[in-house]
Formats: sequence, structure tokens, C-alpha cells
Amino acid sequence: MASQDRQNMRSPLARAIGLGSAKEGVGPWWAERVSAVALVPLTLWFAASIIAHTGSDYATFIVWLRTPLGAILMILLLIALFYHTALGLQVVIEDYVHSGTKFAAVIAARLGCYALAAAGVVATLRIALSG
Amino acid sequence: MIIKSSDQVPRTTLLKRFPIPRNFGVTPESRIGRGKNWPTPAGATRVKMFEIYRYDPDSGENPRLDSFGVDLDDCGPMVLDALIWIKNKVDSTLTFRRSCREGICGSCAMNIDGANWLACTRFISDLAAPATIYPLANLRIIKDLVPDLTHLFAQYAAIEPWLKTKTTEPERERLQSAEERSKIDGYYECILCFCCTSGCPSHWWNGDRFFGPAVLLQAWRWLADSRDEGTGERLGNLEDPFRLYRCHTILNCTRTCPKGLNPGKAIAEIKKMMVERQS
Amino acid sequence: MPSTTTTRPRPLSPNIQIYRPQLTSVLSILNRISGVFLSVCAVVLVVWLVAAASGPQAYAAVQAAIGSSIGRIVLFGATFAFFLHLCGGIRHLIWDTVHGFELRSIYISGWVVVVASMVLTVAAWVISASMGG
Repeated sequence: MASQDRQNMRSPLARAIGLGSAKEGVGPWWAERVSAVALVPLTLWFAASIIAHTGSDYATFIVWLRTPLGAILMILLLIALFYHTALGLQVVIEDYVHSGTKFAAVIAARLGCYALAAAGVVATLRIALSG
Repeated sequence: MIIKSSDQVPRTTLLKRFPIPRNFGVTPESRIGRGKNWPTPAGATRVKMFEIYRYDPDSGENPRLDSFGVDLDDCGPMVLDALIWIKNKVDSTLTFRRSCREGICGSCAMNIDGANWLACTRFISDLAAPATIYPLANLRIIKDLVPDLTHLFAQYAAIEPWLKTKTTEPERERLQSAEERSKIDGYYECILCFCCTSGCPSHWWNGDRFFGPAVLLQAWRWLADSRDEGTGERLGNLEDPFRLYRCHTILNCTRTCPKGLNPGKAIAEIKKMMVERQS
Repeated sequence: MPSTTTTRPRPLSPNIQIYRPQLTSVLSILNRISGVFLSVCAVVLVVWLVAAASGPQAYAAVQAAIGSSIGRIVLFGATFAFFLHLCGGIRHLIWDTVHGFELRSIYISGWVVVVASMVLTVAAWVISASMGG
């Protein structure tokens, strides 16, 4: 980054401009905020439910997830949570990883989040629709 | 505990540095070695100790931390006065930028006791014991306390900080109501000292692509100016995951601005305008 | 500026090594650390759900792991991380409406986040204990 860098002979202005503006960025920023707003009530519902079910046995817990409201809210929570997580992890990786590994890490994080969301939704549906 | 304005020096310090190794991530040429202990003034009753970052590009040595004792009865009240005293009385090779000595030119910006501020508006009586003086953080050092600001000024040029108009020039002024003019209050006063940008962790890790608070505050100054006709073009140039959106509202910038300005708020206004453009 | 073939690179002035930790930067990095930790906890959440869908034995195994002493410590940490990230997140959402940017407000809201997270964490565990955990 030194202005007297022998390897890089670009002018300081050219270096500051870089590859130019991507002309996009507000999309992910807005999505993270929307998912955050959704997560406030959903996570509070989840935390309250878990606390209320402390010490319950398997049967009672399954009943909670079998109610339509329980299943719907759990699925909404999983979707919002993993969308928010995917966006957040991408930002963290972009902040700290600057080599080519960055792209692999971002892809891995995103796909991991989508896979986990799918797994969670399927598991919830299995519980909700069985019996 | 509650900071009301940026010139407030915290009375208590829970954590002096982040709990990481002293030379964490430091490249070999930047490692700070042991420095000289300069002789303290004989016969002085009130002596203040300063530890100052030194780097001599001609010596071929690494930077070091020198220790100086300043006679407070022979010296003005500000940190800049102490630096000038040291240069006059102890070590004339001590190098630093300075000009107005009244907090308006921005030349003497440096890291004093861990926070970026202007040396000419920081009282010696507000300093720790010993006081530590480093150059502005995360910048290539030309000599002693003089950083290379080339890249920061290049980023400033990249936002095209001038009035963009398409409408033909009027006979006299481009008109602006008092209320419209007040929209740039708190932003036009920036002296480009770069205390904020140099104190932003996001700029530390991504300073090559992230514009940083000083430049973004000036970008907002032009977005908010009612006479400017290039708003769409400016927003397009800023909408980038790195140029603007590396800002995570850490707010070190607002905390450290020696002019009491609010870069964090300016950036939030830009982000708000970005959303309004989409919806 | 001279540029001989033997010019050594200029040193970089220290940044995180010497910069004062302030409420601004500390709360921000804690928000990030808690967020990343919660991402890991989200994996555990899915494991727990899949175990519940697989039947009582799988569920009991996961419950035992969470209920172990290490599991409980991690769960306590996760609760604190959750409330810290929740309160910090709400503070961020308020900032996104361009409110609360005066230094005084930044510091007051910062301390509110710290105190609220601690209070909510303790409250959650106390209520949970009274429920028979």
C-alpha cells in the first residue's frame, strides 16, 4: 500500500479507485436488517419456549413442535436464522480473509447454512407431520 | 464511564490494550525495538515522562520507543508544546508535522495515550504516566511521527469532492435556503486530519478498498449539499460492499474526532439514502 | 521521494497493538464474537432437532450431552452470547434509523446493552431453574 511500492506502479488515485464501484451492496445490507427484525420476536419466542419446557420429557417436547403454531414458528426461525447467519458470516470472512481462500470460505459458509436450514426444516416437518 | 463529547479523556482505564501479543501480526520491518532513554532536565521540579515512537529511515534500523522527560515549568500546556520543547532542548531530530497550533489545520494528528487526537489541543495534564505517543495508527511511516497519507488523500479524490452541476450557471449564486445550508453543518467543518480513519478497525483490515470515515463523511457532505446535481452518480460510486459497506458502525471514529464531528452518523445517513433509492 | 533498488519498505505504525480499547470498539467486537459463536450454536440447534425427529433415544443422547457439566457451561455462554447479540443487534437497528448517534447516547445505549444482557442471562437461568431444570 506504500506510495513508493516498487512492484505496483499504479498511481495512488488508481489504487484508491481499484476495480471501481460494484454498484451493489445495499441488497445484502437490507436483507440482514430484515432478517434481524424477524429474528427478534422469533428468537425470543424460542428462548421462552425452551425455558418453559425445562425438565419436560420427550413426549411433552414433541407435542410443542406438533402444534401448528410451534411448527410454523420453528420453520420461520430456521429460515430467518440461517439467512441472517449466512449474510453475517460472509461479511466476517470478507473482513478477515483476503486471499483466494476467501471465495471458497464464503461458498462453504453459505452452502453450509442452506444445508443446515433444510435439515432443520425437514426435521421439524417430520416431527410435526408424524403421528 | 459516559462520554459526553469526544474531547473527554477517560478517567479510568479498565483495559489499556486489547489482550493480544505485543507484536501480533507485525511485519519484521515494523517491529518496535528498545529505544533510548534521553537525559531528564537537571534541576527541574515538575518532570513529565513521554514515550515516543521513533523511526529513522536513513539508519536502516527498526522503529523504537524513546523515553523523554519534559520540564513542565519550561513548556506550554499542550502535547505539541512538549514535542517542540523536546525538539528544541533534547533531540533536534524528533520529526512531526505541525502548523496552526490551534486545532484547525489537522497537521499534528497522532496517537496519544492510545487514542488519535491533535497534539495541539490535547492538554499534558490529561495524559497518563508515562504518556505514550505513536503516529496515527496503521499508516506507513516516513519518519518518527510523520505518516504517509497519500492513499487516504487518493481515497478522498476518488469521491470527487466538488460541486457537480448540469444546470447552467446562474447570474450570481446557486441559491440555497438557510435550512438547506444547515444540512451540511457538522460535515463541512472536517479538517481532514484522518484521526477517524486511522482509528477505524475496519479500515485497518480493509483500508485498501474501504473508504473510511473521513472520506465517507465528506461524501455525505456532497450528497447533503442541495446545490449538488450528481447525487445519483455519487451514490452509484459509493454502493460497493467494500467502499461503503465495510462500515459496521464500530464508532471509534465519532469517539476520536478532535473537531467533535460525527462520521458514524454521516455514514448512517448515506446508508439510509441508499435504501431510499431502492424502495 | 527516492526509490533505489534497495529501498526497504516503510514500517507500518501499530494499530490494534496500541490503540485504546473503548466501549465503541469493545462492544462491536463482542457483537461479532457472539454472532459467530451463535452460528456454531445454530449447528447444535439443528443437530438437536434432527435428533428429536429421529426418536427418543437419539434425543436423549443429545439432551445428555447438553445437560452435562461442560454442556451446561457452554449453554450458559450461549445464553449470554444470545442476549448480548440480541441487545447489540437492536442497538444497531436503532442506529440504522439514524438515531442515537450523539456520543452521550452511544455510551448510554452501550452500557444498557451490557447490563441488559447480563440481567437477561441471569433471569433466564433463574426462571429455568425454577421450572425444574
